[in-house]
Amino acid sequence: MSKPNDLVQGTLDLLILKMLAVDSMNGWAIAERLKEASSDVLRVSTGSLYPALHKLEQQGWIVAEWRPSENNRRAKFYSLTRAGRKHLQLESDNWDRLASAISAVMRLRET
Amino acid sequence: MTLDRLLRIVSLRFRSLARRDDVERELDDEMRDHIERETAANVRRGMSLSAARTMALREFGGIEYHKEGARDQRGTRWLEELTADVRFAFRSLRNSPTFAAVVVLTLALGIGANTAIFSVVRGVLLKPLPHRDGDRLLYLRHSASGPGQSNLTFSVPEVRDLRSGVPSLSGIAEYSSWMVMQQTKDGPVRINVGLVTGNFFEVMGLSPILGRLTQPSDDGRAAHRVAVLAYEYWLKQFGGDSSVVGTQVSLDRQPVTIIGVLQPAPFFPNRVEMLLNLVNSEHHLGASMQDNRLHRMTEVVARMKPGASIEQVRAEVATVYKRVTREFSEAYPAAGGYNVAVIPFKTVMGEKARLTLWLLMASAAFVLIVSAANVANLTLMRGVRREHELVVRTALGAGAGRLRRLLLVENLLLTLFGGSLGILIANAGVRLLKAFAERYSTRTADIRLDGIVFAFTLAVSVGVALVLSFLASLPREARIGSRIMTGAQRSSGGLGRRRMQRSLVVVQIAVTVVLLAGAGLLTRTMIELSHVDTGLTSEDVLTMRVTQLTRAERSDSTLAAVARQRFEEMRDQIAALPGVTAVGIGGTLPLRSEDFFYLVQAEGKPPAAGETLTRVEFRGADQNFFRAAGVPLIKGRMFSTSDKDVVIVNKTFVDRFFPNEDPIGKRIAWKADWQPDSLHWGLTIVGVVGNTRDGRLDAPPRMVAFELMSRMPTQTAGFVIRASGSTPGLPAQATRIVRRVAPLALVDNVMTVAQFRQQSVSPQRLNAGLITSFGALAVIIAAVGIGGVLAFAVSARTNEIGIRMSLGADSGRVQRMVLREGGTLVAIGLVLGVVGAYLSAGVIRGLLFGVTPNDPMTYIAVGVTMATIGVIACWIPALRAARIDPAIAMRAS
Repeated sequence: MSKPNDLVQGTLDLLILKMLAVDSMNGWAIAERLKEASSDVLRVSTGSLYPALHKLEQQGWIVAEWRPSENNRRAKFYSLTRAGRKHLQLESDNWDRLASAISAVMRLRET
Repeated sequence: MTLDRLLRIVSLRFRSLARRDDVERELDDEMRDHIERETAANVRRGMSLSAARTMALREFGGIEYHKEGARDQRGTRWLEELTADVRFAFRSLRNSPTFAAVVVLTLALGIGANTAIFSVVRGVLLKPLPHRDGDRLLYLRHSASGPGQSNLTFSVPEVRDLRSGVPSLSGIAEYSSWMVMQQTKDGPVRINVGLVTGNFFEVMGLSPILGRLTQPSDDGRAAHRVAVLAYEYWLKQFGGDSSVVGTQVSLDRQPVTIIGVLQPAPFFPNRVEMLLNLVNSEHHLGASMQDNRLHRMTEVVARMKPGASIEQVRAEVATVYKRVTREFSEAYPAAGGYNVAVIPFKTVMGEKARLTLWLLMASAAFVLIVSAANVANLTLMRGVRREHELVVRTALGAGAGRLRRLLLVENLLLTLFGGSLGILIANAGVRLLKAFAERYSTRTADIRLDGIVFAFTLAVSVGVALVLSFLASLPREARIGSRIMTGAQRSSGGLGRRRMQRSLVVVQIAVTVVLLAGAGLLTRTMIELSHVDTGLTSEDVLTMRVTQLTRAERSDSTLAAVARQRFEEMRDQIAALPGVTAVGIGGTLPLRSEDFFYLVQAEGKPPAAGETLTRVEFRGADQNFFRAAGVPLIKGRMFSTSDKDVVIVNKTFVDRFFPNEDPIGKRIAWKADWQPDSLHWGLTIVGVVGNTRDGRLDAPPRMVAFELMSRMPTQTAGFVIRASGSTPGLPAQATRIVRRVAPLALVDNVMTVAQFRQQSVSPQRLNAGLITSFGALAVIIAAVGIGGVLAFAVSARTNEIGIRMSLGADSGRVQRMVLREGGTLVAIGLVLGVVGAYLSAGVIRGLLFGVTPNDPMTYIAVGVTMATIGVIACWIPALRAARIDPAIAMRAS
C-alpha cells in the first residue's frame, strides 16, 4: 500500500520531484500535468500519489504550504526544497544513466 | 544530511505526534480538495455535477485506505501504536490489581536484591581502579609454605634485586603498614599509616587534590618528616580544611608536616589515615632493615611499562628470583617453598571479598529466578484466563506480532515498575551492605547505585519481561474457530502449558533448596564458630590495651623503666577496685595476635638436614596473666616475680617438640627469623598451659611461648581484669586509673573477651544472615508459587472434581489427590535441589568452618524445612478442593 507499484519502483518519486521543479502545485495538478506531459502514458493512481507525496515531504525533499484555492477553500501546494532540488539532480542523472544503459542493451541486434 | 533538512524532518515528526489532530484535518482537506478538483474537471468535460462527483469519488478509491497509506509515511506509527499498547496494558493490569501487586512486589524483591548486591560487586570487584592506568598496577606477593607465611612481604635487598632485574616494570614502590600515635585535641589516638618510598604515588598513579605528594627527594635520612593525608581522614579529622597543608601534626611525639591531601583511593591491605615518608620510622632506615635480606616488612607495588604484559613481568621476576635464591641459598632453604606471585592490583584488592560477594550475587540471582518463575506462573494462569480474550482479539484482526507486543508491553510495565521499586529497596540495602563489605575490602567508597548499576537493573527487568512474554503461547490461527465455539471459559490450558507450570514449580523448589543449603551451611559455620572452645575457662573478663611509649621511645631505658613502673602501678590500683579478683598483664590480649614469631629450637631436637627451624609465636605475660585470663595450667607452674630466663609454652608446642617427654626443665633456643646470627640459648620451660584460639577462631591453635612481660618491650601492655559479681562500672573505673597514672597514654580495646569474640564472628554472622534472608525470601516466594499453581489447577478442575465426588469420591480422597499432585512436585524439586546443592556446595568450602560442604545434618534439616513448607502450601488448595460441593460445581458448568 505504501509503495507505488504501477510505475517502475522509485520513478514516481523522480517524476513528482521533476513536476515540482517546474512549478509548485497540488496533488491533483501533479497527476493531471503528469498525464498531460506524458501524453496520457503515465497515469498515477491516488493510492500511490499521496503516500509518495507524504513520504517525500517527511524526507524533507519537498515542502507543503497551504494556499487558498480557486473556490476559497484551503489547498495544499507542494514545492521543492533546496535539498530536494539537489536530490532531483542526483536522481535524474541516475535515471539518465540507467535509461541509456537499458536502451543500449535493447539495441543489441538479435540473430 | 544537511542541517536544514534534518531540522525539517524532526519538526515534521514532532508535528505528527504533538499536533496529530491538525495533521489529520489537513489530510482530510487535502483529499477533499483532490476530489473537488477532479469533480470540477469532470464538469468541465461536460458531466452533470452529481455524475462528476460520483465519477471523481470512484476514481479516487477508498479514502480511508489512501489516508492510511499517507499516515504510514509519517514514521511515527510505531510510537502511536506503542502508546495505545501502553494505555491498554495499564487498563488490563488495573483490572487485575492483585495479580499486578503480587508480580510487582515479588519482582521488586528479586530485582532489588540483585541491584544491591551488584552495586557491591561492581564497586569492590569490577569497577576500574581510580589510579591512573590502574590496569597496569601489580602487586607482588612473596610467600613460603607453612603457617603464617602466605605473605612474607619483601626485604629491602630483595626489592633492590627486583628493581634492577625486571625491565618491563616502569617503577617499583615500597609500602609498609605501620601504626603511630597521633596527638589530637581529644588525647592520643592510634592510627594506621603507610610508610612509603618517594616514588610510591608516581607508581600508584595517584594525584593530590591539595598540596603535593611524596617524591624521591623525600627518601633518605636527611629528608624532613612529611605526611600525605588520605582523603577520608582529611574530611573526618580535619573537616576538609584546605589550610591544613603546611601545618604540622604530632605523630609518635614527633612533628610531621602535612604536605598534601591525596585523591580518594582505596588502599591495600588495610585502610590508612596518612602516608608518611620513611624517615618517620627509625626502624625502616636502620641498617638491619636496609641491608638484611631476611628483614622482610615491605609490600611491593609495581607499574608495568606501556605495552608490557603480565606474563612478561612474571617471567622476568621468576628469572631474578631464581638467580637470587641460588646466590643466597642460605636465605631461601629449598624446603621453604619460597615463591613470588605477580598479581594485578585490582585482583588482589578484591581477593578477600571475591568468594563472599559472588556467593551473594548467586544467591540474589536465585531469588530472582524463584520470583521470576512465580511471575511466569502467574502470567501463564492469567494467560489461560485471557485465552478467550486473545482469541477474540485474533479473530478481530490483531496479528500475532501485535498480540506478542501487547504481552511484552504489559510485562515490561510490570517488570519496569518492579525494577523501580527494586531500586528503592536496593537503595535502602546498599548502606547495610557497605558496612558489610568494609570487612572484606577497602574499596567500599566506590559502592553506589550509579549509571552502570541502573543499566544492570534495566537489563534484568527487560530480560525478565522478554522471557515472560515468550512463555505464554498465543492462540494459533487454526484453533481460533474452535476456541470461540467452546467459549474456553474454564480451560486449564493445554497439556504443554500445565507441564510448563509444573516445571517452573520444580525449578523454584530446587533453586530454593540450593539456597537453603547454602544458608544452612553458613549458619552452621557461624554457630560452630561462636561455640568454638577458645581454651579460656571464662570469657567474662575485661581487657584493655594501654600504650605509653612510641616505638622510638621504648629503646630509651629510662623511659622504659618509668613506663614499666607505671604499668605495675596501674595493675595494683585496678586490683584494688571492688569486685576485682585478678589483674594480669600480657603483651597481647587473649584471642588476639600480634603475629610476633621467633624461630625456635628445643634442647636435644636439632632440625633434620634440609628442615627449617620452627616458627613459634612469642607472647608476654606476667605472673597473674594466666589466672586472670583463664588460661589453664596443665603442667609445671606459673611465672613468679623472681623468675628470670624462663618460658611457659602451650600444649601445641609440647606436642611438636616433646610429644612423649616431660618438657619441664627443658631448654629452648630462639632467634628472630631476620637475624642471621646464631640461636640464643637460655630459656627454660617451667610450665605448660592449654591452647587458646588466638588470632582466628577458625584456625588451629599455633605453637606459643610465653615470656616474662618484664623481658619484653614495654611500650604496650594488655590488661586482663577478672572480677566477681556484677561490675558495670569497671571499664570506666579502670580507664580512670590508667589516665591518672599516665595522662598521655593511649587506651583502646576496652571490652570483654566475650565481646571481642562476638565482634570477630560478626562477618560470618552477617554472611549467614544475608544468605538466610535470601533463602527465607525464596521459600516464601516458592510457597506462594506452588500454592498458587495448585489453587489454579483446583479451580480449573472444579467441574471434574464435582463429577468425581458425585461418583463417590469422598472429600478426603479429593484432598489426597491434590496433595499428591503438589507433593510430587515438591519431592522432585527437593531431590533435584539436594543433588544440585551437593554438587555445588564445594564452591563455598572456603567460607565454612566446623562443617563439611556435604554435611548430612544440614541437608536433612533443609529437606525437612522445604518439605514442611511445601506441604503446608499445598494444603490450602487441597482443603479448598475437598470443600467443593459437587452439586454446585456441576450446576455451574
